[in-house]
Formats: sequence, structure tokens, C-alpha cells
Amino acid sequence: MSDRQLADWRQHALKLESEINKVVVGQKDPIRLITTAIFARGHVLLEGDVGVGKTTLLRAFTRAIGGGYQRIEGTIDLMPNDLVYHTYLGEDGKPHVSPGPLLMSGENLSVFFFNEINRARPQVHSLLLRVMAERTLTAFNKEHHFPHMLVFADRNQVEKEETFDIPSAARDRFMMEIPIAVPTEPAVREALMFNPKFHDVDALVGTVEAEVLQFDQLNAFARIIQNSVDASPTLRRYALDLWTATKSPELFGVKVNGVEMSRLIISGASPRGVSMLLSAARVNAWLNNREAVVPEDIHAVFHETIAHRLVFSPVYEMRRTEIARELLSGIISSVSAP
Amino acid sequence: MKKFSLHTATLVLSLLLSIASFQLRADEKPLPSIDDKLVKLSIVDPVRDSGYTVGDRITRVVTLEIKKPYKLLDTSLPIVGYEKRYQGQVIGIELRDIKKTAEDKADSTVHTLHLTYQIFTRNVVAKPAALPPEFVKIQHGKEIYSFRIPSWNFRISPIAVFGEVKLETDMSPLRGPVLKNSDRENLIFKLALAVLALSALGLLYIFGAHAWLPRMGGPFARACRDLRKLKKLPANDETLKLALTRVHQAFNLSSGNSVFSNNLDDLLAQKPVFSSMRNDIAHFFELSRMAFFEQQHTTQTAAEQLLWLQQFSRRCRDCERGLRPEKQA
Repeated sequence: MSDRQLADWRQHALKLESEINKVVVGQKDPIRLITTAIFARGHVLLEGDVGVGKTTLLRAFTRAIGGGYQRIEGTIDLMPNDLVYHTYLGEDGKPHVSPGPLLMSGENLSVFFFNEINRARPQVHSLLLRVMAERTLTAFNKEHHFPHMLVFADRNQVEKEETFDIPSAARDRFMMEIPIAVPTEPAVREALMFNPKFHDVDALVGTVEAEVLQFDQLNAFARIIQNSVDASPTLRRYALDLWTATKSPELFGVKVNGVEMSRLIISGASPRGVSMLLSAARVNAWLNNREAVVPEDIHAVFHETIAHRLVFSPVYEMRRTEIARELLSGIISSVSAP
Repeated sequence: MKKFSLHTATLVLSLLLSIASFQLRADEKPLPSIDDKLVKLSIVDPVRDSGYTVGDRITRVVTLEIKKPYKLLDTSLPIVGYEKRYQGQVIGIELRDIKKTAEDKADSTVHTLHLTYQIFTRNVVAKPAALPPEFVKIQHGKEIYSFRIPSWNFRISPIAVFGEVKLETDMSPLRGPVLKNSDRENLIFKLALAVLALSALGLLYIFGAHAWLPRMGGPFARACRDLRKLKKLPANDETLKLALTRVHQAFNLSSGNSVFSNNLDDLLAQKPVFSSMRNDIAHFFELSRMAFFEQQHTTQTAAEQLLWLQQFSRRCRDCERGLRPEKQA
């Protein structure tokens, strides 16, 4: 793959961002992060309040990526088999079995959107673990492969009733957890409120140019990015220090207000987590037209790739979002490179 | 009767002892004096021959150069602690110490005696006294000769003025007031003052954050010094990385956080004194990025980049001190 092809793909990526920014306004940072995850081939968990545009954002991305798109709503009575198949009585009065959302698109499944994932039971999370990690599923005595699949999920952190915490093992499968906040710019808020364009979601998503990317080439190209973007010894040392700091922040003098640092962290970032961090950082470097990763590339994805992997002492879990943000900002501020 | 016999026995015993003593003296033959040509004597007496009083020590150095094969008998040297007498009376001068050294020459031996006497007498008025003569023995074969070290005259002074003294009548204009010697106290006072001054300076240095003057010794001042030391190293990529790392440390220390190119605005908001250096700081981060991460070479040589870094750190130091940085060379 020549530098020209890398540049061509970058143009496609920027075009993708631009298309999404047309329909989802005021979310430039989340859109850049999702683009990064797509090219790093990582699953994405969106977190935010109700009605901030999470579903619209994912639908828009799905349209631009192309390939099969499936979606399921998380409910308390959702069972794992609901993802695999469903049964019904046909017109002939006989029971029939149809493929569920995971199997319906076959190998062309490019986006599997799990809405309100924290409403699903742990059994469903368990099934999702394998699908996300291995991109395979055994059903009907056959192993099904989803080589191009990315799981996009969202969760509502506000409501706690009839919800289940996503276990840390499941959270760790997601490359990023991206917060979606209500836009703060007055002009954007006014447009969202008064412009009818943003009120009809189907029509809005329909305006996104379809298949800006070729979903079945993304895996191969993602490997090229990872092999093309260099990480110098200094950067490797810096990334290792960051990793150590997620496990023992007190070693780097990181402090969080009102928190006893030696008791805060039960488990820091996992090896999978930091490898995903570096994958995302490489994609960020490529998107910024660089041939090597710099610390700023790591900073750009650090919170989103690491925060959801940290396991805190139960006493601090209630303040998880606030503590994680302060902790990771402290780590960035305290660890120097070089 | 009993009384009579006791007195008689005492008398007889005394008579017998006197006869024995006389007989003993009659047996002692005076030794012959040695020929003056065979012994060369020189004495260094104390400079002052008056003003000594009870407790004072007086040392005289006696040098005897004795021709060979004549030898000085060490057993004839004066004995330490022996009370000196004159005409059978204790004179109150005692030998306290004696040191002897001998130097062998071709035809003679030079003996140096340090004789230290102490005065144990006093008087209400000044009185003459003398360090007594000493007699040493010199041997040649079976013959033994005597040699006399002459005495030395001096005056013993009273400790205080005798009788009642009216100070008003004893104030001679030729004699200054009697002052207590305060040299030792003065020396201690000066030493204490010196220690106090050094401690104060040390405290000033510590409280001044290791700087002698306000705004000195900041992170960039130290970085600037360290970069000057790097001139001793060869101007290559490794030295450049050392220099870049040192300036990074200065930025981090100055800000209290790790400074990167993406939080430069935070640094400038926190430290507005660096605002005039914005472009230079951006250039520094670009240089660092190329050296550490992108590992690319610029058109500048390492020596040119090191020179620029030294000038850059000096300008940052000026900013740190609140001065206007000098223009880039």
C-alpha cells in the first residue's frame, strides 16, 4: 500500500466525518472518535442522556460505512437466543425459525447496534462477549463468522431501574466508551430546536451519502494503518508509563480530590486495553496526516479507551465518571514524555 | 632510773649515727672537672629575668657538645621532682620536666637538654632567686669527670602589692589600667558571628527556593546552566535529546504539569510571562517531536539545533525572571 493509497483512504475518512457532521451537529469530537474506532476496528460504547442523538449518530455512521446493519433493543426480558433466532407461526400454521439480528446479514454484517445495552441481562452480555471478541457465533450446529462486524452499543447512565451493570469483562471488549453530551453552542442548540431537518430522523439519516467507505476492505486497511504508523522508543516508554499509572497512580503523584489513591484502583488498564489505546492512537496519527504516533495522539483517545476499563473500589464506584475523568487527566498531567 | 636509761640510749644512738654520717662523707671523693676544651656549652635562658611568681614555669635550653670518646652519663642528669636546695635550704624551685636529645657528629656528640623548672615560692616583695646549677658526669674509660651547668639569676615577684593600697594613690599615669584579657572571648564572639552569618545565608538560600536573589534559580535558569554544560559533549543526536529532555523538564517544573504541544495554551494562560515566546515554544515542541517521535532530521545540524536550544532556554530564563527576552540571534 503506497502513501498515495493511505492518503486516498484518509480522504474517505474525512469525507465520512464531514457527512456525519452534516446530520449530527455539535458532536465533532465523538464523531472523530467513532471514525477512529472504525479504522482501528474497535467496538464502541456510547454513553449519554436520553435524546442526545446517540441512535441517530450510529445510524448515520452505519449508512456511510455500508454493509449489513442490525439493531436490537435491550430489555430486561431479552434472552441470548433473541439475538440468534426467533420463532413464529407461519401462514401455514406451522412453527418457523428465522435468523435473529446477528445472523440475518450473514458475513456482510458491518454494524450491530445494541440499543440500551445495560437493560439486557448478564446472559445476553455473556453472549455478546464472544461475538465481540471472536466475531463468531455457534448456532444451528454451525459456526457463523462476522469478520466485518463492529458492535455499537449505547447505555443510559441516568436510569438505574431495571438495568444491569455491564461487567468489566464485557466493558473491556469495547475499544472506546464515548460520552455524548448535549451541545453547548447556542446556534447548534437553536438549530436542533427549530430546524425541522433535525426532527425527522429517518429523512435526516437518509441525507448521509451511502457507502462512503467499503466495509469489506476496512479490516485489511486497518492492518495497513497499524503497520505504517510508527511508534518510537520514546513513545513506547511513555505509553508504558501511562499504563503503569493506570494501575498505580500514586507512583506518579496523581491525586484525586477526596480519594485515597492507594485504595482507589482494584484493576488498571488491561493489556488488551492498552493495545487498543495504541491502535486508536495510530489511527489518530494517520487521520492527522502523521507517519508516527506522538503523545498528543494518545491523549486524543486516552480517556475514551481507558476510563471504562478501570475497576474501582466499590466505595468509589458511585462517583465513577467523575473520578475516572479526574484520574486520567491527572495521569496525563503527571506523566512526562520525554 | 628508767628515765635516765632512756635518755642515755637516745644519746648513744645519736652519737653513733653522727659518726657514721661523717664517715660516709669522708668516703665521697669530689670528681675532677673536665677540661673546658672537651665540652662546649651554650645556654638559651628565658628572655625575661623578672616578673615570675609562684606557679610559673621557666625553661632553659642547655646544649653540650662533648668531644668523643667522652660520653655524658644519663644517670647523672637532674632528677625530675627533686627539690633544689641552696646551702641546705629548700629554695622553692623544682625541676618539672627534662627532655634530652642527642645528635651524633664525626668527632663529638651534641646533647640538648630542655630543663623546665616550676616556682613554688613567693614573697611579699620582689626577691632574687636563681635556677640552681646542675652537675652532670662525663665518662672516659674508667675515668669520670664532673661538668657544671651554671645557675641563672632572676627575680621572683609578689602576686599582689604588699599592704593596704589606696588605688587613688597608686594610679600612675605611666601605667595603663589593668584590663582583663578578652582576646579569647572576642575570638569566640567573632566565630559565632561568622557561623550566624553563614546560617542566615543558608536559610536565605533555602527559603529563596535555592536562589540567592528573587526570581533566580528557576527551572529555566537551571536548565540554561545544564545546557551550557552540554557544550562539553559532542554535538550529536544523543546530546540533542539530552538537551531537549532538560528543557522539557523545565517546562514541566515551571507549569507543575506535563506540558505538551496540545496544552500550550494552558501553559501560556498560567504563565503569561512566556506569551512573547509562543512561536519559539511551538518551534521547540516541533523540534522535540521530530527528535523523539517522528525521528526525522531537519535541515539544521545537531550543533545548530543545540545552539538554538541554548539561546531558547536563555530567553525562557529571562521570561521566567520577568525580563524582556533578548532577541534571537
